[in-house]
Amino acid sequence: MKKIIIFILFLVLLTGCQENKYLEKNFFYMDTYINVKLYNVKNAERAFDKIDEIYKEYHELADRYHNYEDLKNVYYIKNNNDTTETIKLDSRLCNMIELGMEYNQKTNGKFNINMADILDVWASYRENKNGVPTINELKEAKNKIKPIIFKEKCEILNNHPSIDLGAIAKGYATEKVGEYLKSEKIDKFIINAGGNVLVGNHYNNAKYKIGLETPNQEKSIYKVLRLENKSVVTSGGYERFYTYNGENYHHIIDYETFYPANYFKSVTVIADDSGIADALSTSLFLLPIEEGKKLIKNTDVQVVWYINDNQIVATEGISKYE
Amino acid sequence: MNKSDKILVSILLTILIPILILLNFSSSSNLAIVYYENNEILKIDLKKAEQEYEVNGYNGIVKIKAGNGKIKVVEETSKNHICSKQGYIDKPYETIICLPNKIVIKIASDSEYDATL
Repeated sequence: MKKIIIFILFLVLLTGCQENKYLEKNFFYMDTYINVKLYNVKNAERAFDKIDEIYKEYHELADRYHNYEDLKNVYYIKNNNDTTETIKLDSRLCNMIELGMEYNQKTNGKFNINMADILDVWASYRENKNGVPTINELKEAKNKIKPIIFKEKCEILNNHPSIDLGAIAKGYATEKVGEYLKSEKIDKFIINAGGNVLVGNHYNNAKYKIGLETPNQEKSIYKVLRLENKSVVTSGGYERFYTYNGENYHHIIDYETFYPANYFKSVTVIADDSGIADALSTSLFLLPIEEGKKLIKNTDVQVVWYINDNQIVATEGISKYE
Repeated sequence: MNKSDKILVSILLTILIPILILLNFSSSSNLAIVYYENNEILKIDLKKAEQEYEVNGYNGIVKIKAGNGKIKVVEETSKNHICSKQGYIDKPYETIICLPNKIVIKIASDSEYDATL
């Protein structure tokens, strides 16, 4: 009899244990709502302050529209009045630009962080919803682009190039936040930075359950991934777009055509490094599927392509996360 | 197990099982929570009939329509109106984010996912 009562009490206790305590905080940087959850920590204030600081630093470095005192950010690179021939780059900015250049080569020029002038043309049409830029207008913008030219390691020619790190900075900063948390032995965490997710160890020795949403208004879950110590990033044109004459025009522009890439509704990448996953998801969004497969050959990166006709294609290795 | 034991066990089970079921279901409440940055500014019971609410966002008033199990933003001040174009949400993992207004709306039940994207 005692055993049965103990068993029942045990059942009650078990249900009480299901809950896992976490502390969470939201941040608004880089045009993104960032949610950070830290599990089983007693006092997270210091960690949250540091995370805020990291995101703020990268936000300011990648800010195209504002000047910050004593910071040579992308705004400074474009608009400075210095007479020096070259600019010595902040090492964090240097690393992001180098990552961007690497994927520029890997995509044969389709992925380009040096085309802010073209993005600005698209942005003005997107805001006014009054049409689509003509190819001549886009070519004109292209002809104004000043190239990024490295003179030394982390030192570029001061020719006022316009740089847009929208496809890199979020993931890169998130990776730095992950590194910081691990260095502080806060290894159970989940960060969701608007399409960039980074997870640490699981709070319950299991895996984090990540749902991939269909790239449309419905947002139902079409695939579930189980991940630990991984980054997963989705790029798609289904959130930031405008409609003109019944056609949708999104914000991910192919530097070869100057128009939005049109192979997929979304591309999801699973990789170890969040910065690389960010650059890769945009790169793969710009490449036909066969070229994309070549790009990730012999790597541990897994990909889900959500094609325009709603077909879903994934790399074989994805099965280990399902 | 004698007869009185059996009675005791059955009483315990009849009391406990409904409690356990209630505990599990109460977490999936039908509540929407509206945040400004990190602060909860409004709770809306979605079981009620649909009605309009107003909260203060960074750029001014954000008008919300909520009830009958769903919630949406109907009007706000921003460049691209991403959050008012989004339409209704009704699933526990869905969120509405009005970035320029620093307003976030979540459905406050435990999602079966740790994150969605």
